[in-house]
Amino acid sequence: MNNVLNWFTPSKQTWLHRCNPSVKFVLLFLMMLYVFFSRTIEIYLMFIVCLSALLWSCSGFPPRKIALLHIPVVISGLSSAISLTLFGRGSSVIWQWWIVKISHESIHSGLMIGTKSILIGVIGLLLLLTSPPVQLIYSLMQQLRLPAKYAYSFLAGLRLIPFMIEEYQLRSNALRIRRVKREKGLRGVYLTIKLYSIPLMAQAIRRAHRIGIAMVAKQFRQQRTYYYVTGFSKNDGFFIGIVVLCMLAAVLGSKLISH
Amino acid sequence: MMTTAAIGVTGLRAKYSGEEQLIFKDLSLQIPQGQKLLLLGPSGCGKSTLLHIMSGIIPGTIRMPMVAEHIEKPASWGFVFQDPDTQFCMSYVDEELAFVLENQRLPQAQMEQRIVEALATVQLRLPRLHTPIAELSQGMKQRLALAAALLLQPEVVFLDEPSALLDPEGKQMIWQSIRAALQQQTVIVVEHHIDGILDWFDRVVVLDDAGSIIADEKPQTMFEQHKALLLQYGIWHPHIWEQAWQAKPVRRFRSVDPLKIKQNDHKGSTAKYPMQSQAAPPLLELEGFSVTRGACTVEVPYAAAGQGEWIAITGVNGAGKSTLLLALARLLPSSGSYHLSGKPAPAEIPEQISYVFQNPELQFITDTIIDEVLHSLLLRNEQADANENEQPLKRGSLLKLFTPRSKRGKSAKAKQRRQALTEQAMAALDQLKLHVPYERHPYELSIGQKRRLSVLTALVEGRSVLLLDEPTFGQDARSTFVMLEWLLQLQAAGNTIVMVTHDEQIATRFATQIWQVQASQLNVKLPQDAAPDKEADDEQRAELVYT
Repeated sequence: MNNVLNWFTPSKQTWLHRCNPSVKFVLLFLMMLYVFFSRTIEIYLMFIVCLSALLWSCSGFPPRKIALLHIPVVISGLSSAISLTLFGRGSSVIWQWWIVKISHESIHSGLMIGTKSILIGVIGLLLLLTSPPVQLIYSLMQQLRLPAKYAYSFLAGLRLIPFMIEEYQLRSNALRIRRVKREKGLRGVYLTIKLYSIPLMAQAIRRAHRIGIAMVAKQFRQQRTYYYVTGFSKNDGFFIGIVVLCMLAAVLGSKLISH
Repeated sequence: MMTTAAIGVTGLRAKYSGEEQLIFKDLSLQIPQGQKLLLLGPSGCGKSTLLHIMSGIIPGTIRMPMVAEHIEKPASWGFVFQDPDTQFCMSYVDEELAFVLENQRLPQAQMEQRIVEALATVQLRLPRLHTPIAELSQGMKQRLALAAALLLQPEVVFLDEPSALLDPEGKQMIWQSIRAALQQQTVIVVEHHIDGILDWFDRVVVLDDAGSIIADEKPQTMFEQHKALLLQYGIWHPHIWEQAWQAKPVRRFRSVDPLKIKQNDHKGSTAKYPMQSQAAPPLLELEGFSVTRGACTVEVPYAAAGQGEWIAITGVNGAGKSTLLLALARLLPSSGSYHLSGKPAPAEIPEQISYVFQNPELQFITDTIIDEVLHSLLLRNEQADANENEQPLKRGSLLKLFTPRSKRGKSAKAKQRRQALTEQAMAALDQLKLHVPYERHPYELSIGQKRRLSVLTALVEGRSVLLLDEPTFGQDARSTFVMLEWLLQLQAAGNTIVMVTHDEQIATRFATQIWQVQASQLNVKLPQDAAPDKEADDEQRAELVYT
């Protein structure tokens, strides 16, 4: 599991890492909201170009890793684009066969959903790769007044994930050793889920309960000081400036494209 | 005589929610300032609960029906729990300790120094403060938990079996740290073992099964006068092995002499089995066998186990004992030759092998105790049928356990057979003294009983080789001895036992061979000449622990 964590450690820290995580979070979240409710492909494309430029140049990760991380993003983008193109609604039909119906409208909505999901993926990667979760949570507590009890429950929960992965492997070995045979069909799926979820949940609940008590025993209080002090710096101004530039470029660029 | 009590309870009554029986009936216990108190008692007598009540975790955080005339709560306290993996909410050493300081609203600028001091006090030396907790050994995690408790600047420190889940080295080091760090504080400890720690305490209090105090003595008198009590309550003490196993000479049953084979092999003689004329090839035989998992590799030049042998796999933490065991069950890929009864072992889990994992809960697959045993019996039957080349039992017999009883077993014959097996399962539970309601969920058992049930399910499958991963780890002496009795019976019946253990006593008293994993290499030893190889061990430990 540590390998997984190490994998997500950037090879060098850049100004993007030194930005206040809350600033990044708020700006990128707003951008995501905007993307969610807008319907302009050109703006999406321009955003993708600008943010990708930022991601590939300043995230501090080698291009190979960034490319690998794009695989799920691209797959989800492509699959939603293709399915909407093939089966989407539309009146000006170009080609039709059985249930497949490609129309001008469906191509448009396919392109839109595809670029939209890729853009959201890129925004997500930008946030994920440049703000370690601990820093993000500390910043959310300090700048955005996130209540400490939620912040620390989240951090404690994060610690449980490696245990759950390990236990999942143990459980599957144990099932093999007890020669549990897998049944086919829906029943089989139900039984398999049951065989895995009950013991794993039982372990997780017990562990969470114990960690909770240990946190109380360490006299957990909402009113607190912070080990990682997060504040604002020039980097934040720089980041805001870049995002504003991206927006301008997107709006102007999209105008140019559509003309 | 008694100075001001730092902490205490008077007339305490409590019970677990939903249960009739009281766990404490008018219990009173006063502890003066600075006293080091050791609390002993059988498993499940409420020792941990008492710590929770005295610290105020009950009823502050955990709710539980209780009344008391008076509870004197400490002004400040720290708590170290038993399980090293469930005490921390952060992922790094410095963050975890800072969490405690944040709670006390210490200015950030002072934190680092306090963290460094705390780590020094518990003798935890790390290459850097920002070390992932996951990289620490279990013993180091417990010392970290102690450091966190100390940062609270407590008057009273509660330790709930702080060393129960540690290996011998970890045990020794945590107690060294406790002695050094907690000289001033009032300390209340629950433990199941008193080896090498008794002299530190001022007072020992023993609770009985009903949660009443039956002894309250100075440590020395305690040990001299209540030795029988200690054994009865399963408390580990230095002479418990002699006391418990005096009358029972341990049989050593061996069909193959591993050392002889090895020597012959070195000479390059063609006769690999000196006893081949009289005896069959060994039940389990490894040659040039190698397995790798993550950073850990185990190489086995040659090792063999005959029928009825008891093999103890030993070695320091992280040496690869469990890895080897998993490879024997074919749950990990391996290379080299691996023979079972003279035939190459299959790539899938071999028919001859049962396995007991360290955490019994992960191994239970049904909703009732009886079905748990029944599943194993059904497997055994299926196997027998398959061997006799009769019509095999319908596949997916486990599924039957999930279907309503009325739908199970279509023919009368199948029904009858199932009835017979259920009776067998009950008999097995009775015979091995696992007296529990059959229809209960396995999770409702105590931890010792869960372990025993998991071993039982492996036993009734009737396979010839039983692999166990630290079956007695963290258990009190009583449960451990019951388990060992079972394994002895099994061995006498001709089964081969291969178990991973940290316990030198078990290895030297019961094993017919010791397979020591050291520096990625498996060395076969006989128990009589298994004097611990301290130097090599220390060397390896130095690599594992950053000291």
